[in-house]
Amino acid sequence: MKFDPVALATPFFILTVILEIVLARLEKVDARYEAKDTAVSLTMGLGSTIAGVLIGGATFAASLWVYQHRMFNIPMTAIWAWGAIFLLEDLTYYWFHRMSHERRIWWAAHVNHHSSQHYNLGTALRQTWTGGIAGTWALWLPLSFLGFPPAMVAIEKGISLVYQYWIHTETIRRLPPWFEAVFNTPSHHRVHHARNPRYLDRNYAGILIIWDRLFGTFQPELDEEPCRYGLVKNLATFNILRVAFHEWMAIATDLVREPRHALGWLFGPPGWSPDGSRQTSREIKQAWASRIQEAPKKAA
Amino acid sequence: MNEAFLIHSGASALAVAALVALAGWARIARKTPRLDETRARALLAEDFPDEILEQVWLASDGAGAIAKSGASALLLMRVGDSYAARQIPWVKAIAAGTRDGEVAFTPGDAAAPRLRLNLATWPPKGLAA
Repeated sequence: MKFDPVALATPFFILTVILEIVLARLEKVDARYEAKDTAVSLTMGLGSTIAGVLIGGATFAASLWVYQHRMFNIPMTAIWAWGAIFLLEDLTYYWFHRMSHERRIWWAAHVNHHSSQHYNLGTALRQTWTGGIAGTWALWLPLSFLGFPPAMVAIEKGISLVYQYWIHTETIRRLPPWFEAVFNTPSHHRVHHARNPRYLDRNYAGILIIWDRLFGTFQPELDEEPCRYGLVKNLATFNILRVAFHEWMAIATDLVREPRHALGWLFGPPGWSPDGSRQTSREIKQAWASRIQEAPKKAA
Repeated sequence: MNEAFLIHSGASALAVAALVALAGWARIARKTPRLDETRARALLAEDFPDEILEQVWLASDGAGAIAKSGASALLLMRVGDSYAARQIPWVKAIAAGTRDGEVAFTPGDAAAPRLRLNLATWPPKGLAA
């Protein structure tokens, strides 16, 4: 029987969304749900599952082909192998996630996960329809090339996805310091979903926050700066097709208008433009830092 | 596609519908009182911190606003219980047409194809040209 952590966790997803809504209704927890926003999040989740099935065969076949040319034979029954795949898959996820924010072609596939201005368990299910097309799944192929069976990689990816579900909530504020130091938590991931300049492009972790600490992208949540969720430019529509494809449409428009800048439009950071008329996250952060520095001078 | 997948997808679709209904029933969205000028300016400042707002016009239903900042128009529209903002050239803003009693601004953005504001008079007198 096939072991699929995400399929097994689906009833848990549904029950916990119900629980969060009911507890918020009873004013036991601080959570906000808006019906249309929730509809978009959950429909994106459903569509992502269908897209995954449609393209999953091809990606799994690719990993099987790579596995046939593997360097080592890593047994699926060894505990050390599960420890190794846990760390290597999580490291792979970090770089996948970072690329998905820092290069526009992959941001186009990932942006819809960030497009809600709410942060609740429903937002966790707002998943991409176009990840398969964007090709980021290829980042996991080296694991099969090393010798990890594709099924083992798929299971670990599923475990990571299920782990990341529960951290999409405002109902849990802070966990014990030792846990916050090592693991990705609701607090760390709220920062990741925030559009405040200070918080942009931070906390890419899947399960272990140590990768962000190691690679210089960690930002703790600050009580004095509450997270404002969503995109730098928020969606002005609940149209599900626009939610799913708006950045792809924007890329296509830019490519048609100025094809000679195709590389920049595709592989530049989101917000890049040849004439500098738009702002990347880095530029937004720099402008914010300048304002912070200038503020005391203006006040004096 | 096998039968199990279709059953799983059908059941998931039903669960989605039930959860959306529950979210609507719970009435736990953010409160969105009518915008006043202070609030509109604060919301616009989040998206356009470097812009100096010369004048702000509030939508008559309190669900949006438009501001003039130099040669730009800054648009703010309520979306669900949140807001979306966009910047367009002022000349484009004053040329916006009215549809079903609302002024329809088109930022030329796939994520914000049209921002509709219920403005009693548009364009404002004296600033039309």
